[in-house]
Amino acid sequence: MEQLKVAEMNEINEVMNETIQYIVIKLGDEQYGIDIKYIDNIVRMQHITRVPKVANYLKGVINLRGEVIPVMSIRLKMDLPADEITKSTRIIILKLEQHGTIGIIVDEVKEVVTLSTAEIEKVAYDGQEGKINFINGIGKHNDELISLLDLNVVAMEK
Amino acid sequence: MDVNQYLEIFLDETKEHLESLNAQILNLEQTPDDADTINEIFRAAHSLKGMAGTMGYKRMQALTHDMENVFSEIRNGSIKVNSNMIDTLFQCLDALEEYTNNIQASADEGTNDNQALINQLNEYLNGGGAQEAPLKAAEKEAAPADAEAAKWKEISFGEHEKHVFSEAKKEGKQVYGMDIRVQETCILKAARAFLVYKAVEEKAEIVVCNPSAQDIEDEKFDLEFSLIVISENPLDQIIAAAKNVSEIESVTGGVVDIDTSEAAAAETEAEVEAEETRPAAVAAQTTGAPAKQAEKKSGKPVVNRTVRVDIEKLDVLMNLVSELIIAKNSLVSASSTEIGAGSGVNEHIEYLESVTTNLHESVMKVRMVPIESVVNKFPRMIRDLSKKLNKKMELYMSGEETELDRTVVDEIGDPLMHLLRNSADHGLESAEVRAQRGKPAVGSIFLDAYQDGNNVVIEVRDDGNGIDVEAVKAKAIERGVITPEQGDSMSEKDIINLLFHAGFSTAKQISDVSGRGVGLDVVKSKIESLSGDVEVKSKLGEGSTWIIRLPLTLAIIQALMVIVGGEKYAISLGSIQTIEDISPSDIKLVQNSEVIHLRGTVIPIIRLNKELDIESSKSPDENMVVVIVKKGEKLAGLVVDELIGQQEIVIKSLGKYISKCKIISGATILGDGEVALILDANALI
Repeated sequence: MEQLKVAEMNEINEVMNETIQYIVIKLGDEQYGIDIKYIDNIVRMQHITRVPKVANYLKGVINLRGEVIPVMSIRLKMDLPADEITKSTRIIILKLEQHGTIGIIVDEVKEVVTLSTAEIEKVAYDGQEGKINFINGIGKHNDELISLLDLNVVAMEK
Repeated sequence: MDVNQYLEIFLDETKEHLESLNAQILNLEQTPDDADTINEIFRAAHSLKGMAGTMGYKRMQALTHDMENVFSEIRNGSIKVNSNMIDTLFQCLDALEEYTNNIQASADEGTNDNQALINQLNEYLNGGGAQEAPLKAAEKEAAPADAEAAKWKEISFGEHEKHVFSEAKKEGKQVYGMDIRVQETCILKAARAFLVYKAVEEKAEIVVCNPSAQDIEDEKFDLEFSLIVISENPLDQIIAAAKNVSEIESVTGGVVDIDTSEAAAAETEAEVEAEETRPAAVAAQTTGAPAKQAEKKSGKPVVNRTVRVDIEKLDVLMNLVSELIIAKNSLVSASSTEIGAGSGVNEHIEYLESVTTNLHESVMKVRMVPIESVVNKFPRMIRDLSKKLNKKMELYMSGEETELDRTVVDEIGDPLMHLLRNSADHGLESAEVRAQRGKPAVGSIFLDAYQDGNNVVIEVRDDGNGIDVEAVKAKAIERGVITPEQGDSMSEKDIINLLFHAGFSTAKQISDVSGRGVGLDVVKSKIESLSGDVEVKSKLGEGSTWIIRLPLTLAIIQALMVIVGGEKYAISLGSIQTIEDISPSDIKLVQNSEVIHLRGTVIPIIRLNKELDIESSKSPDENMVVVIVKKGEKLAGLVVDELIGQQEIVIKSLGKYISKCKIISGATILGDGEVALILDANALI
């Protein structure tokens, strides 16, 4: 019996100690985390070529070293006020299995944090009708809260 | 290292073998006694069997095994080729192709045993008599290699191996030594060796490998390598498994006498080598299984699309890249030397320009493949059709070596097949009618491909009935495609073009060859999606010609750059007719839409700024720049703000994320790094 418990504890500890690296970005006053494994690149704001007749949150396309990449405004997607382009505005290039490569516009890229599973609280779907939940967890880091973006939901077409 | 690594080679080779089998069996039917043909067939079938076996595709192996038996009987002259047998063999090839397609899609051959075909093959065999003889003959050929000294005997063992051997002995297993020799012509020695390794591993445990597994993997061996294995299976089974791998010249072996090798003293070197070998083999086994599972889960094809590239084309590319670097360096040095700046730079830029243009062309050439791979299956198809329709016909092909972009070649097969079937079914008359008309009894269908400027033209021609314009007209009226009044005013050409209308089929009887009303419209839309076009020329009673015109390459086009509301757009030069300067007062209203009257034709006007949801930067009373574009016979005038000029542009896809916008067909990157969108004039009209 005793042995079994020890083994179980070890297993639990192992799960707990799994860590994920997140890049912390700012949208307005809120901090969001993006799983680093989906990030291909972070580039400065550049001229975006508008594409007509597409959803308003799709800002257009940019040239990323010879490839044409669609860029979307995560603010508009989340029904936040439109982007204000400043010196610290960045485009984060994401590589998603389902949606391919997409750029998202963020106000600022702050830092890289490493969160262990113990520091992440899963958020249950709040069930509010007509509202899409873009977040799949909340991370706690140095007394600050980081909303962890569910990228597949973010990239999903409305 | 696991079998999946070789899946690509396997698929490539299988396809090649199947293609050659198809061609050779057709040949065989024409010249049943040609020894070269039957040998070629036998060789291909044998390699197929071996490859399928080592890759673990048992059903495929079983089917090819029986086919091979039939071929060997034919080779021996004990059965005669007849038309039924050829039919069965073709069906077998179809079945093999199905396996191959399954493997390509999911790394699994599927579950169809094709027992009926196997039974049929065995019937031919039993009719023919002696069965096993040829296989034995093949084995005898390999036997003489025995005469050479057995290399495995030279391997000495360390303490560790000796221990393993004695353990094995206690369990009643045997220790064997084997020498494997690959053919001198073999290209991928390491791959073959690995396949042998894999095959042997199924039957036995490999203890020592000389040279080491690592060296073999790195191709650091001559033509021979030796294995020491432990197994409960008899030696000949293991040898047979190894021999199943293609391009293996010989496999010989014998029982290892542990006591004598013990006396041969333990060399430390051998020990080190063996230590290396064993973990590698174990690792191969453990990593192999999960990788296979993972691949099965994802629905994607396991093999990427590849282009086989002629090494010469790559050499040209390499040269151009080095020239590019030289050009860059001279630009750098020109910019750093102050003296004479300006005069030299232009020269260098010109040089750079010529290098990039050449580089461009060469890369395009790399993407080009001959249409051979597509058209080679047609003789077989015409043969099948000839039987099915009970009409005598012959296919004559020319220009198989004509090259097209890989993406086009992949897509062009179906439309061509449709047209050929159409010619065979509707075009060619029945034998009686042909006799009445004084035509040769055997109908001819021609497939000609050739390059014409920047286009490749593929013509499908037959000497059959031609298109009956009146019948088409009557049918179109009956189907409600046109009204009788319209029919009277239409030209012959317009009526023939009705054939491309969706849901139109003139076949009086629906056969499974053609006549389901899908076909020509699909052909047309497919070819248009490849930026090509198709037209028909026909003379009643003499035959018809279908002419497909395709651009050489899809990735680069000549385009006109325009500005609309401050944004730059590209319009393909191919669809532009003229460019006009129109005063606003020339615009007339017809049924509430704007048109212009230009040299006798009324052309509708499309204001691009409205289509693109943007403000025009021009005031409404200024003269307008109108780009006249055409789609087939239809014309339209696109109003733009400004013209920039003509430019060669590289088409980039917008990706599936932005695919909703119909009027934009893609994007391109301009000289300053900005992205400009490409307008699809066809979608606008």
